[in-house]
Amino acid sequence: MSEADAAVIGAGGVSEATDGGARIFGQGYRRYEGDRAGIAGAVWSVARHSFRAALGLGRPARHKILPVVTAAFSFVPAVVMAGLVAFLGSIVEGEEDFLPSYHEYYGFIGMSVVVYCGLVAPDILVSDRRNGMFSLYMSTPLQRWSYLAAKAQAVIMALAIVTVGPVLVLLLAYTLNGAGPDGLGEWMLALGRILGAGLAYAALYAAVSLAVASLTDRRAIASVTVIVLIVGTSIAASALVGEAEMSAQLHLLNLLLVPYTMVGVIFGEPVSTGGLSAQGVVLACAGWAAAGCALIWWRYRRLEVG
Amino acid sequence: MPVVETAALTQRFGATVALDRLDVAVPGGVTGLVGANGAGKTTLLYAVLGLRRPTSGSVRVLGLDPVADGSELRSLVGFAPERNVLPDEMRAIDFVRHLAEVRGLPRKEARTRASDALWLAGLGEERLRALGTMSTGQRQRVKLAQAIASDPRLVLLDEPTDGLDPVQRNEMLALIRQVSSEFGVDVIVSSHVLDEVEQVCDHVVAIDAGRLVASGALSDLVGDRSGLALELVEPADSPGAAAAVEAALAASGLKVRRDGLRLVVEGADHGELCDRVRDAVSEASAGLRRLDSRRHNLEDLFEDRAVEEMRA
Repeated sequence: MSEADAAVIGAGGVSEATDGGARIFGQGYRRYEGDRAGIAGAVWSVARHSFRAALGLGRPARHKILPVVTAAFSFVPAVVMAGLVAFLGSIVEGEEDFLPSYHEYYGFIGMSVVVYCGLVAPDILVSDRRNGMFSLYMSTPLQRWSYLAAKAQAVIMALAIVTVGPVLVLLLAYTLNGAGPDGLGEWMLALGRILGAGLAYAALYAAVSLAVASLTDRRAIASVTVIVLIVGTSIAASALVGEAEMSAQLHLLNLLLVPYTMVGVIFGEPVSTGGLSAQGVVLACAGWAAAGCALIWWRYRRLEVG
Repeated sequence: MPVVETAALTQRFGATVALDRLDVAVPGGVTGLVGANGAGKTTLLYAVLGLRRPTSGSVRVLGLDPVADGSELRSLVGFAPERNVLPDEMRAIDFVRHLAEVRGLPRKEARTRASDALWLAGLGEERLRALGTMSTGQRQRVKLAQAIASDPRLVLLDEPTDGLDPVQRNEMLALIRQVSSEFGVDVIVSSHVLDEVEQVCDHVVAIDAGRLVASGALSDLVGDRSGLALELVEPADSPGAAAAVEAALAASGLKVRRDGLRLVVEGADHGELCDRVRDAVSEASAGLRRLDSRRHNLEDLFEDRAVEEMRA
């Protein structure tokens, strides 16, 4: 046992020297006189724990399979493009239009993000109500709002893996092969936009998926509902605008289109969907997020502890 | 300063009054919160934790207002809920460490203390096991370990012996006693099993249907009064003999409780008590089927209360 170990354990109880030089350390109860982290520390601890649990870290292997597989789907196009740029760099040189831009990449991964979101977000919220952790958390410095903030943080962190990660891979691949932004300023701007767009995308889906997850104690039902809701709004909005020739503003209800368009706005691209404005898209995103947050808060304010 | 102090604390859920103008002062040490299921014990614990805003009245815990200073207070309080549902896939060490962190301990300190707490709870060898593979007794110990791991000043244990066999129950009670006497942590234990409260607690708060039945040091409430339990026989020629015995004993200043032909009599001096009972039974020409010594206990508090209510 090292001196450091001895100091830590020995502080708790009695240590005695025997004739042979061996020492026995008692593991008695020790008082803790140091600072306590408070709410911020509690929020971070729950967020980190929930994030790890959602990805199956610290859990049996079967819990890792689905998050890893669905997350991997989001990276596949980025890896393929990175490979193309690396191996065919001389061919595509000067023909950068061949490569998808950063915001266009979200078009490739829209559905895999939805499936990943449906799998990960409900697990983060529903499990606590089923396994008693919610009541235990409420007996700690956490309050309902700070608990929900921790859960939202965990979902955003988990979703950012697929909304930020692959595009960062793309940025690095382009940069290393001379197809990236020109100069440090442009590069930093692109990085900022990738982070901003990815986090906004994640925040929107976090609000929607947590709202759904707050309404049921069955994880599978929540997962299916999240996916059906997002895909369903897309189908419904497209049908209403395209087939029934109703107002194009109904596209703002499309949970596949709206975040994708918002990403374009963040990257300074013009809004390509007819009848929609950048302001309208941003407001729609804010509206969806606010509605999700309001629903979660309404549900959790009424949730009994016990 | 009392650890917990309530003044006219009232908690209503619609038409149901869970706590009814409760005035309680809980000192340090181990305090038993006793009452039948549904008496309001858990509601009181949740009020102490600031998880429910009182309908009226006030609570102060460790000098803090649980509603206004809830977060600060709860970082100083360990809580083990009655509910035995825990995250099955988590290892005991991870569970205890995580909750210690959430209660404000730095990561490294939480890890060390989680291990220590599990050793103290007798689960040192089992600390790497998943909670879902543990027995009820082990899960109760894990709940106790997570409650003490963050070095709280006060620990609230809601029915900590629920589901335990007699051996496990005694071990758990010994642990609770140790938490207070050796670690210097004040403990409030809620239980509907009066025997175990008498076994481990210094103080008692007894509630029934949300109302205070009794509160004080265990020795004061139980006292040193001795008692006798009688079962009489009324001969055909002495109808009403049991009532006559009751009246005679009550007239001599003894505390008497009668349920049909069964009487419980209490008095300070055991010898005198026996003499009075002998005389009363003899004078009433009653037969004596059974006579047992019994000690005044917590159960009597509730029975006295029931008798008073019936009389009222």
